[in-house]
Amino acid sequence: MTPPVKFSAFLILFAVTVAFPLVVSLPTYQNFAILVLMVAQLGVAWNILGGYAGQVSLGHAAFFGIGAYTSSALVTLAGLSPWIGLVAGAGMACLFALVVGAICFRLKGHYFAMATIAVAEIVQVVISNCDPLSGAVGIYLPLTPRGAAAFVFSGKAPYYYIALTLLAASLLVNHLIARSRVGYYLRAIKDEPDAARSLGINLPRLKLIALAVSSALTAMGGTLYAQKELFIDPPSVLGTQLSLKIALVAILGGVGTLWGPVIGAAVLVAIEECSRIFFGSSGLGTDMIVYGTLIIVVAVKSPSGIAGLLRAGVQALQARRRPGVAAPQEVEERA
Amino acid sequence: MGHITLPLLTQVLLSGVLIGLIYALVAIGLTLIFGVMDIVNFAHGEFVMLGMYGAFWGVAYLALDPLVTLPLTALLLFAIGVLVYRLVIRKILAAPMLSQIFATFGLMILLRGMAQFLWKPDHRLVSHSLVEGRLTVMGLQFGGPQLVAGAGAVIVTAAVWLFLNRTRLGAALEATAIDREAATLMGIDTGRMFALAWGIGATCAGVAGVLLSTFFPIFPEVGANFILIAFVVVVLGGFGSVAGAFLAGLIVGEVEVLGGFLVGPAYKTALVLTLLLLVLLIRPRGLLGKA
Amino acid sequence: MRSLIRRLCLSGISLLMTTSLSYAETEIKVGVLYPLTGAAAASGVEEKAAAELAAAIINREIPAPPGLVAGIGLPNLKGAKLKLVFGDHQTNPQVGATEAERLITQEHVVALLGCYLSNVTATASQVAERYGIPFLNGSSSSTPLTQRGFKWFFRTSPHDELFVANFFDFFKDLETKKGIKIKTLGLFNENTLWGTETTKLETRLADEQGYSITEKIIYPAKTTEMTAEVQRLKAADPDVVLQSSYLGDALLSMKTYKEQGFTPRMLLANDTGFIDSEFLKTLGHDADFVLSRDVWSLDLGDRFPLIRLVNDLIRQRNNINFTGSSAREFTAVAVIADAINRAGSTDPEAIRKALAATDIPGQGTIMPWKGIRFDTTGQNVLGSGIIVQVQNAQYVTVWPLDIATHDIALPAPAGTKH
Repeated sequence: MTPPVKFSAFLILFAVTVAFPLVVSLPTYQNFAILVLMVAQLGVAWNILGGYAGQVSLGHAAFFGIGAYTSSALVTLAGLSPWIGLVAGAGMACLFALVVGAICFRLKGHYFAMATIAVAEIVQVVISNCDPLSGAVGIYLPLTPRGAAAFVFSGKAPYYYIALTLLAASLLVNHLIARSRVGYYLRAIKDEPDAARSLGINLPRLKLIALAVSSALTAMGGTLYAQKELFIDPPSVLGTQLSLKIALVAILGGVGTLWGPVIGAAVLVAIEECSRIFFGSSGLGTDMIVYGTLIIVVAVKSPSGIAGLLRAGVQALQARRRPGVAAPQEVEERA
Repeated sequence: MGHITLPLLTQVLLSGVLIGLIYALVAIGLTLIFGVMDIVNFAHGEFVMLGMYGAFWGVAYLALDPLVTLPLTALLLFAIGVLVYRLVIRKILAAPMLSQIFATFGLMILLRGMAQFLWKPDHRLVSHSLVEGRLTVMGLQFGGPQLVAGAGAVIVTAAVWLFLNRTRLGAALEATAIDREAATLMGIDTGRMFALAWGIGATCAGVAGVLLSTFFPIFPEVGANFILIAFVVVVLGGFGSVAGAFLAGLIVGEVEVLGGFLVGPAYKTALVLTLLLLVLLIRPRGLLGKA
Repeated sequence: MRSLIRRLCLSGISLLMTTSLSYAETEIKVGVLYPLTGAAAASGVEEKAAAELAAAIINREIPAPPGLVAGIGLPNLKGAKLKLVFGDHQTNPQVGATEAERLITQEHVVALLGCYLSNVTATASQVAERYGIPFLNGSSSSTPLTQRGFKWFFRTSPHDELFVANFFDFFKDLETKKGIKIKTLGLFNENTLWGTETTKLETRLADEQGYSITEKIIYPAKTTEMTAEVQRLKAADPDVVLQSSYLGDALLSMKTYKEQGFTPRMLLANDTGFIDSEFLKTLGHDADFVLSRDVWSLDLGDRFPLIRLVNDLIRQRNNINFTGSSAREFTAVAVIADAINRAGSTDPEAIRKALAATDIPGQGTIMPWKGIRFDTTGQNVLGSGIIVQVQNAQYVTVWPLDIATHDIALPAPAGTKH
């Protein structure tokens, strides 16, 4: 796409998303949109590590949970505003990321992925047995007072805009990193690790930066979850299922692309919700059959993600419009 | 806690070995599939589940003991493994690692949903079997099902090992695992080898399910109980290493049972995972993983 | 793929249209959230059957046994029918909240019931509170649920604090009336919300009442083996093992006791896994002597005739017996129908007021309770627990002593076969 086209497409998208809760007032649809935005934000955050640095983490729930638990503990134990908790949670997750990185970055490929699962499970066991954090019982957050300062709202729209802002911020960070020298080096690490090392790129430090940024953004998603649902317990914010889901939206949309996780989140949440709403109340397990089948179909039909599929489509169109020009190579849209 | 005596400690130690053997058997199938084609199978726990249901329906419909129907269930699981390869895995061979994870994750959910659809979400149990009862040797107690399951795990593992190391077909499988392209050049049909790996992998998990069925409840989600342990065992042993999985299975069983006994069962999973991380710090490719 | 999604959405939209338009006047919708897939699906499916039976009785599709409050139906609403709209929360708290919101805003339910699992009830009821829709909880036992100061939350079931207190009342009765002295306790509880909360309550009451806890085990739920746990219990050999397990773990522990040669001198279980209909079906005589707290038992039918009569109905319809959980869910549907009827309208505030004024005598329900009346926190103050024992592969009520149908039986001392 040419820059002006791209820019106007971006403007339209921006207008549509901002206007959405004003046009669509049904809370169910608003809630659906919030779920998409929240999952998309987690996918974008994951992508900084998984997509650009090529480190497949299947333990991101640990950072999510740390964010949720930090802000919730500050609310219930110290009476601090969740907004402070949002920042504190991101900080805690960053610190924890440094520890995780020190251990796990020594590992490659599947070993790294499995080690991150182990780390997340250990965090879950520790918090489940931690009495000051209410252990396995979970933390109930107060429903009142409401308002912007308390981060508790009666309607859906404020949550929508917070989720949207968080997603936009994550996309911006992602974009900036991709454009920066760090991003350039990260891609180099992913594609040609040996060459990158021989050029004197400080690999461990760059990976740590990617992990720290990714975990901080993930933790902010955790705080948003806690304030939206007002109840957290270890299985819901630290479970392996959540880690897998975060990775899945990025994979589904397209790893290492800016908008991939957003598309992936929209599709995955739609599949999840529709299969449950239309088939879930039977108690026969049909919703799982539909959900599982759709996932397999997507994985088989578009192994490079939906973004890859769209890109291929656009390229095919362009190639047809300009006969004689070979299909452009995959240089443009890495970001 | 009461007094820790030597017989008590021995009892706990041996119980850890027995459960470790089962873990090893589940993990061997997983590591074999990985070794041959670099795919992590998230639906592996569901093969265990299918094996358990195979045993259960053998009892319910044919009134045959799980041990009697074991060959049939094993064959069935082999067929299911090959079928899964043909229908799904074959189409994502060239896909990135993440898409493969995604596909097997979908398969996991699909199989669980199908089990609930076909067989209801109830918990079932094979309450009476040939292996029922327990053995008392020198004051140590062993459950019959666990003893037979442990022995079965040893036999199947040995059979897989012999197959890989002593037969032409096994050698071809190993060759495919080491270098796919070279194997193709040598005239090995790698597609067949992949199907074979999935067949054997599913069979191992299914046999583990049959052996478990005499003392473990059977329900559609039961695979979830075993998949994390299976992953830990595979990674600890080193991806693709059958001997490593066997060794790691025993270690994990021991850490869980002995560690749980001494430190407290609340932390047994954390103990196992911490051990995994420690080992990976020293040996980034697991105990017997190939560089 | 794309066409599949489109078809799904289209069929969904048409489904929504038909359900929300054509019956708008004559149907009163109540949302019901159960775990219909996932690890707790077996319980959820039975609860769904119980709730559907209750609705059928309320709607006069089935003749009601005399005296049953639900049999009154909805006369004050001019023949309107109660329609239950089921949602599946998959044991996931966020899904529970999402489903609650969908049922409220899209299905326009006038009240919500559910969710069996306490952590899902926590999030789903919070959504109802925000929307000002009554939430009636039938079978979640976590104590803090009614301590949140919610205006729209009601719970018919007793909670964990009362249940655990029952254990200790039971011990007192054993000592004073049966001459069985209990001194040492072994706690054996699972590690999620319910087991952890129970452990805390048990520890506190044991300290207060002078029992010594010789072993305290919290085990990871959905474990693959329980050898270490059982060996520790065996080494401690307490007078009573107090156990909280979901079904899968309960079955595994019973198998492990047997195989490790450990016969607890008294096994007092905490409901759930031990009273699930699958528990007895799969274990039979192997479950003999197990004691469990419960809220319902079929053998109370002689004293509370409705228990047997209504159980006959669910046997005919679904070929199952009630359990403590499904009986409580049946009761919750009856209670909400009673409130809607007394409110005489579908206005949420009117229903809430009617709920708060609920006063149903025990004889009008299928529970062995004094009745249903809510305090200011929304907790039913007339509920109570019982203790059942498996004798000869059947549950029989052994406590409270005034309604017990059988004497408590204790296993033969270790070493002899039973």
